[in-house]
Amino acid sequence: MSTPFFSNGDYAIEMRNGNIYYGNFRAVRNINLQLKARQITALIGPSGCGKSTVLRAFNRMNDLVPTSRLEGEVLFQGKNIYEKDVDPVEVRRRIGMVFQKPNPFPKSIYENVAWGAKINGFKGNMDELVEQSLRQAALWDEVKDKLKQSGLSLSGGQQQRLCIARTIAVKPEIILMDEPASALDPIATLRIEELIQTLKEKYTIIIVTHNMQQAARASDYTAFFNMDEDRAGYLVEYGRTNDIFTNPQNELTEQYITGRFG
Amino acid sequence: MAAQELNSPAYPEGDALKGQIANRHLVGTVWRSIFLGATIVAIIALVALVYNVVDESFGLVAVQNDVEPEALVRAFFNDELLNSRNTFASENDDELAAALADDPYAIGFFGYAYYRENQDSLRTLRVNGIEPNAETAENGRYLLARPLFIYTAQNIVRQNPAVSLFTNYYLTYVSQEIESVGYFPASESSIAAARQSWIQADGIEVGLGQWPVINPAGAGGQINIVGSSTVYPITQRMVDKFEAAGFAGQINIQVVGTSAGLRALCIDGTADIANASRAIKPAEFEACRSIGRLPVEMRVGTDALAVVVSRANSFLNNVTDDQLREIFTTAETWAEVDPDWPNEPIKRYIPGADSGTLDFFTEVIFDEELSNLPKDTLVEILADSISLGLGRRLEREQRFYADRLVFESQEVWDEVCAGPEPPTGCTLGERSSYNVYELVLERVVNPDVKLTWTLTDSLLRRADIELEMQRQFPNAHLQFRAWLTPDFIVSPQSSTPEFAGVRTAILGTLWVVLITIAFSFPVGVSAAIYLEEYAQDNWLNRLFQTNINNLAGVPSIIYGMLGLAIFVRALEAFTSGAVFGQVEANTTANGRTILSAGLTLGLLILPIIIINAQEAIRAVPSSLRQASYGIGATKWQTVWYHVLPNALPGILTGTILALSRAIGETAPLVVVGASTFITIDPSGPFSKFTVLPIQIYQWTSRPQAEFRNIAAAAILVLLALLLTLNATAVLLRNKYSKQLT
Ligand SMILES: Nc1ncnc2c1ncn2[C@@H]1O[C@H](COP(=O)(O)OP(=O)(O)OP(=O)(O)O)[C@@H](O)[C@H]1O
Ligand SMILES: [Mg+2]
Repeated sequence: MSTPFFSNGDYAIEMRNGNIYYGNFRAVRNINLQLKARQITALIGPSGCGKSTVLRAFNRMNDLVPTSRLEGEVLFQGKNIYEKDVDPVEVRRRIGMVFQKPNPFPKSIYENVAWGAKINGFKGNMDELVEQSLRQAALWDEVKDKLKQSGLSLSGGQQQRLCIARTIAVKPEIILMDEPASALDPIATLRIEELIQTLKEKYTIIIVTHNMQQAARASDYTAFFNMDEDRAGYLVEYGRTNDIFTNPQNELTEQYITGRFG
Repeated sequence: MAAQELNSPAYPEGDALKGQIANRHLVGTVWRSIFLGATIVAIIALVALVYNVVDESFGLVAVQNDVEPEALVRAFFNDELLNSRNTFASENDDELAAALADDPYAIGFFGYAYYRENQDSLRTLRVNGIEPNAETAENGRYLLARPLFIYTAQNIVRQNPAVSLFTNYYLTYVSQEIESVGYFPASESSIAAARQSWIQADGIEVGLGQWPVINPAGAGGQINIVGSSTVYPITQRMVDKFEAAGFAGQINIQVVGTSAGLRALCIDGTADIANASRAIKPAEFEACRSIGRLPVEMRVGTDALAVVVSRANSFLNNVTDDQLREIFTTAETWAEVDPDWPNEPIKRYIPGADSGTLDFFTEVIFDEELSNLPKDTLVEILADSISLGLGRRLEREQRFYADRLVFESQEVWDEVCAGPEPPTGCTLGERSSYNVYELVLERVVNPDVKLTWTLTDSLLRRADIELEMQRQFPNAHLQFRAWLTPDFIVSPQSSTPEFAGVRTAILGTLWVVLITIAFSFPVGVSAAIYLEEYAQDNWLNRLFQTNINNLAGVPSIIYGMLGLAIFVRALEAFTSGAVFGQVEANTTANGRTILSAGLTLGLLILPIIIINAQEAIRAVPSSLRQASYGIGATKWQTVWYHVLPNALPGILTGTILALSRAIGETAPLVVVGASTFITIDPSGPFSKFTVLPIQIYQWTSRPQAEFRNIAAAAILVLLALLLTLNATAVLLRNKYSKQLT
């Protein structure tokens, strides 16, 4: 177990000795990761090394894969979310997720945002919540005149921001993003990155990306994963993004960020 | 190494490449043709099916009535005429003529001949502006005239010298004699044409305008003459004259009516000459030809009625047929008919009911449809023809008049209606005029379909069909009949195919389908949700799944056995409605109810619904589920708000396919105990029932051809029902799909 390098111990979520299996196959091994609150952490690494697996472990999204299993602990607000008495649905409300491909509901823009709040028993003014969430997702100005239209009628970039608004609306503490801009063009990508920067003020953000510039530009911390001969992923190096990109401790990290493998 | 590869290219080039491309195209074309061929086979099968059913559902029928509707109409108007006020009827024309002569306000009609005998005292009227005379009578412009013919056939003229001789004699002298029996002579050109036919028929050679001289003296042989009573007097007169001139053979004359006379000539082949007061019909002509008798037509004169008034009458010259109707029935005074005429009572003098003259007059002047007769008359006709018992039954079903009883006595009626089970007639309103007309049609006219033909035959073989009918059922008439009519759909089952309908079966089908869907849709969709969204992948659930897949392929009869054992027998108390206190009076349905049938069919289509719903649920993209879970939705919320709405179009399609199958099922329902003959509409889940396919099956197994026709019509109804159902499904699906995008 490595010593924590944060000066203060203000962690949003932490994985301890994480081993995640799909059936008999161990996808990642011995992950120890402490993620700081209100910071952006990027998970990088070659394809198949288990970044998405780790990310989904943070809000028990892996539960949806019947064969998956986690050994170890994920501590959220001091509690292991894999304990028996923890309701995974509540975990997912507090730790929201944005997916690689924009996946708005086939409903109106308004309902896309409002639905999550509705089912979670939101008691405030729904119109206000929708507007506020869309504003935070930097989408309000583009859709305020067509809230009744289907979410599917938006462009890819708009759809992704709608998904982010939808996630924000249920007031999570952490937002997990799995390559949220990989299906978008460079301009839409930039807008998402700017958005992520503003969201940082309120939320802890964990983002998986294959885009080195994006990681370098948009994140505060970076975790680099690799996989061994058994194809099991492991954490190679973790630290401030600046340090990782300017002064990597591990040779593999350097090779990866300079594009020599991966 | 690189050079070597270049020397032996890996892909064909040049001619080889061309060959490969050609080959590729060939293979493509062959497959395309195979697919096209398969599609064509499918379309042909469909077209053949529809053609076959439509072909049987429409077409000509030979209908034979117990009583001709025209005869009822004629009898009605004869009565009207005879029973009008100030009407004097007599079979003796002299009496009529004498009575008419003195009275300026009297009117009457009789054969033109009698008028001529009384020209001094009587005057004829123009009818619709046409003066009766030989010319207007023969060309038909004078309304009250009919042609007189004799018919024989070419081979008779050639083989029977007596017939040849007699017809020749007839044509030579008829115009001299005919006025003496009261008819107009045929025009010279008509007689000339008749002679020409005779010459042609006889096949003898004569010069233009020449006519062989006839001398019956000493000739022998036998002649049979059959037919019209109108033509009879002149023919009899010609026979007398012929015999007086020395004919030594034997001549028989029978009066049987025109149609029977032509039948004897053309079908039975028993007559040598037919007397006819109308022209031969094409079908009769064909019938004659088909037995080798080419008909020879000879117009011999014209019969006309004279409408007469006294010479003392100063105001009447012309009447229209509408005025004639009024004058001889409802009108009391002349001024009622025309204000210019005097306000004096009309006195009517008409021939009695036994004479053909009255019939002829009513036929021409009161040319009405049976359905247009007043309700009172129709009720009278009905009352005259049916038994009192049947009348009472019909009256108890629904009364004829709100304010009076026709068959039942008031005391009995009051008693029955106060009784424990009052018949429907006690509460229903009175029968409509049309309803009574239908009763007359059913009970009195009683049309019986003797033969039926397919639509194709009706369109392509009309002549053959007429011949066939003339031969087998000479009293029948051809009629185009659509077996699929609104009446067919709303009428209950009947043992007479002409009156049978599919209402009971349609209602039965709808009820059964309602139960089926109410049971199988929620159960099936729930099971599919469980299997797709909740079930863990363990051996038990795999066993469930395998079972369901196999159940979809189990023959339907086995579901029938299952339904019989479970719903009809084991759960009888429940399916018969006994536990709900719902057993309907006078049904012996026991467990053989709509409920049992619906549940049985529900079981039958359950696997199909489950499998289709599973497919539809599986087709919902997992990204949607993840999105839902990702914002803290539970499994139930995800399924209800996202998976189901998105799967619904697919689920609906599958359900409709399954329902279509249920609607078409016969075997399991036979086992479960559907009734084959039932006329009472099902009224709820605990009723006895029948369904369309069973009705069709039952009709197709009957020997009479008409049942085949109504079976075909019922198949069309079934197809329409299925099409409607499928169209509804498509609409629903499109609606939901649109909501999703
Ligand atoms: N549902 C699953 N069932 C079984 N194996 C899985 C499943 N999801 C992922 N894996 C396996 O787990 C390993 C890690 O996969 P994961 O998707 O986490 O990689 P990744 O780092 O996100 O890759 P990429 O960059 O290509 O998205 C891979 O070997 C993959 O085959
Ligand atoms: Mg991934």
